[in-house]
Order: sequence, then C-alpha cells, then structure tokens
Amino acid sequence: MSEHTHASDVPAVSIKKMSKSFGDIEVLRDIDLVVNKGEVVSVLGSSGSGKSTMLRCINWLEEPDRGTIHIAGQRIGVNEHAGRKMTGKELATVRAKTGMVFQGFNLWPHLSVIQNVMEAPIYVKGMPKEQARAIAIELLEKVGLADKHNAFPFTLSGGQKQRVAIARALAMSPEVILFDEPTSALDPERVGEVLTVMKNLSAEGYTMIVVTHEMEFARAVSDQVVFLEKGLIIEKAPPAQFFTNPKTERVRKFLEISA
Amino acid sequence: MNGQAWLLLFEGAWTTLWISATAIAIGVVLGLAIALVRMAKVPFVDQLLVLYISLARATPLVTFVLFLFLSAPTFGINMNRNTAAIVAMTLNTAAFNAEIWRAAFLSFSREQKEAALACGMTSGVFFRRIMLPQMITTSLPGLVNEMSFLIKGSPAIAVIGIVDLTRVTNRIAAVTYDPLPPILAAALLYMLIISALLKLQAMAEKKANRLAM
Ligand SMILES: Nc1ncnc2c1ncn2[C@@H]1O[C@H](COP(=O)(O)OP(=O)(O)O)[C@@H](O)[C@H]1O
Ligand SMILES: [Mg+2]
Repeated sequence: MSEHTHASDVPAVSIKKMSKSFGDIEVLRDIDLVVNKGEVVSVLGSSGSGKSTMLRCINWLEEPDRGTIHIAGQRIGVNEHAGRKMTGKELATVRAKTGMVFQGFNLWPHLSVIQNVMEAPIYVKGMPKEQARAIAIELLEKVGLADKHNAFPFTLSGGQKQRVAIARALAMSPEVILFDEPTSALDPERVGEVLTVMKNLSAEGYTMIVVTHEMEFARAVSDQVVFLEKGLIIEKAPPAQFFTNPKTERVRKFLEISA
Repeated sequence: MNGQAWLLLFEGAWTTLWISATAIAIGVVLGLAIALVRMAKVPFVDQLLVLYISLARATPLVTFVLFLFLSAPTFGINMNRNTAAIVAMTLNTAAFNAEIWRAAFLSFSREQKEAALACGMTSGVFFRRIMLPQMITTSLPGLVNEMSFLIKGSPAIAVIGIVDLTRVTNRIAAVTYDPLPPILAAALLYMLIISALLKLQAMAEKKANRLAM
C-alpha cells in the first residue's frame, strides 16, 4: 500500500552508477540519471556514444555490468529479496512497466494494427479482449490512425508504423516510454507527424526518455537534456541552458554541427 | 474397371491417405520439437540429432521401412506392418521438417523479439503469440512440399506387404488383365491429393506476403 500512496515521489526511472562493456570496450561508464514522473529527457550524442545501449539497459534488453536501475521504485534485473538475478518471468513483470519505441518500428507483421496494440494488454496483463480493444481504439485515435485498425503493417508508411508502435507502447500504461531514434528511419516528410504525437504525449504528462537527433524537439519538449560522449554523461542540463550556454567545448561543437 | 475394382482402388487410396496423414501430422510436430531442442544446442544431444537427420535424409524411404520392419523384432519390439510404415515415414519426414523449422528459427528477426520482451512478454508468450504463427506461415510452403514428397514416396510401404494405392493396381490388373486403367485411376487420385496440398501451399504463400515488410 505505502508504495502506492507515495508513488508520485518515486522517480519513474532512477539509474545509479551504471556501467556496461561489450568485450573489452566500455560502452557506458558510471551513468547516473533520475527521471521524475512526467518528465521528458532527451539523450543526445554522436553515433556510437552509447545512447542505444543506455536505453536498452533500462529495460534490461542489455544487462549492465554494474550499477542499479529502478523503474518506479522497483529494481530491475535483480531480485533483491532473494538476492539473485531475476527470472525471465520476474523480469517481464518489471519490463511491463516500461514501453519502448524502436528506430525500425519492430511491429509484429502477422498482426493487424489494432491487434499489435491489443496483444500485450491481453497476453501480458490478462486484460479481457473487449477492454483491450476499447483501449486500442482510443490510442489509435490519439496517434491519428483511427481509420487503420484492420490494416496490416506492410501496407503502412514509416510514419504510420511508428505511430502504431507508439500506441502499442502506450497500451501497457507504462511508467516510462523509451524512444530510440524514433524518427531516424523515416522519410523527412514523415518526421513531423511522429514528433507531433510525441509532443502531445509530453503535454499529457507521459514520462519519456528520447534518444534523438531532432534538436528542435529536444529544445521545445525536454525537461532535461543529456549528452553522452564515449559512454559518459558529459553534460546534463535543462534545454534552455544546454542549447544556449553549454559547459563543454564538445557540446558547443556538436551543436554547431547539428545547427 | 468394374465397381469391385474401384472399391479396391479406394481402399488402397484410403490406406495411403491415412498412413501418410498420420506420419505427416506427427512428423510436423516432431520436426518442430527437434528444431526447438537443436536451438538449445545441448552438447551430445545436438550431435545425436544431427546424426539422425543426416541418416534419415540419406536413406531411401523404402530401405528405411524394410529395415525398421525387419529389425524391430530383434530389438524385442513387436510392430505390425502399419505401425512400422507410420514410424518409418514419420522418422523420415520429421528429419526434413526439422531442417525447415530450423531455418525459420534462424531467420526470425531479433527486433520482433525485443519488441515483445520490451512490453513485458515472457519468452513463452513471445514464442506462442509472435514467433510460432509467423514460423508456421513461412515454413508452410516447405512443409507442404515435403508432405507431397512423402506421399509420392509412400508406395515404398508396399515392400512390407501393405496394399497401398500403387500396390492395389497390381491386384486389380491381376484379375482384369488390363493394367492401364487402374494405374491411370491411381495417378488421378495421387494428383487429387497433391493438388489439395498445393492449394494449401498457395494460401500460405499469399499470407506470407504480408510478413515481408
Ligand atoms: N551487442 C553489441 N555487441 C558489441 N558491441 C556493441 C553492441 N551494441 C553496441 N555495441 C557497441 O557499443 C557502442 C555504443 O553503441 P550504441 O549504444 O548503439 O551507440 P549509439 O546508440 O549512441 O549510436 C558502439 O561502439 C557499438 O559498436
Ligand atoms: Mg543508437
């Protein structure tokens, strides 16, 4: 019970001293990040700096070597009561509190649009089909795809696929949604429709961590901007400060190039 | 051909059909199970399965049926003809099916699995709801191909005395002294069975198109 009454004080995501290596290469080092409920955090950095890996450690798609991650107060990956790694089932329960939107959409091609959205509520949460359908209809409306319920993914444009993927993530009412370059695979004229949906979500109070190269989006929507460089967070600031008065030469350079 | 001859022919067709169908049904599921176990790469078990698959694929069905039927008693196993035929055909087709299923496993995209795990699915739910349905669709053309090979190879079971659709034509000819009509009729029945399978295959291929994103 107490967990619920104090829920609003607990950060949506809390990362402490997280490190990750692939072989000999340290891809992330001592990452500390707190994301409060309702916040949007943009993660910037050049290619290969560890942005995807950081995001994928948060929902344990990659297992960090050191450090702790809490999702809405619950430790992910480690069962602290039992003092051991989580089983697949335990892990799934924590992951269900997060949503992820991938660069390549990763829709399930054998399912229609609405089935893609209903799948996890039904088969993860055990929600009755009719309830899941009602939620999916609402969410598809929200992302502007009310007319595509029965379409199959292969008939959609990239922008439409990504909006289905967002609806799919929202369907689980996650504590946080992780976006990994959600617009990088899109045709330029399709980027706007996805960013608009994401802006609306932030206005509605969704908690989001967004890896992106869209500077305008980061500036307009973020509460914090994080800059990763070779696996280190070298800058973390509100956008006003980050974009107008960066502390490091590296970020100044990055912003110049991106402008 | 008189009514009696047609009756014999249909009996032969029925024998071919039910023995093949039983072997196919078990062989498809057994093949999937073998592919699943092979994906786990358990040492020794994996080598054993590889050995079985290469042996089963290299041995002609007729040799395999005969060997199984004749050797079973020396292992203290009492098998009637039909059981021997079903076991031999099942072990033969399962080996081919295991390779078809395995290819489907290996080509399955990691991205879809990550999307499933990310929204809280367990590996079991992911397999049942996301992976298996797509594997069935992508494997079906290959599986159906193998089914028609098996049916076309099924006259092999006559070697242990089963009167199947091909063997029965001999019997009819022995009475009528006119071998051509029963053979033609049998060919027609094989074609009917195979074309039903091809229909299934065409349906699967149509459905598979949507998986290519
Ligand atoms: N599964 C992996 N195995 C080995 N190296 C990896 C793996 N995933 C990422 N890397 C490496 O880790 C580094 C960071 O990758 P990534 O997190 O994808 O960076 P970003 O998303 O910022 O472009 C890169 O050098 C990349 O090659
Ligand atoms: Mg990346």
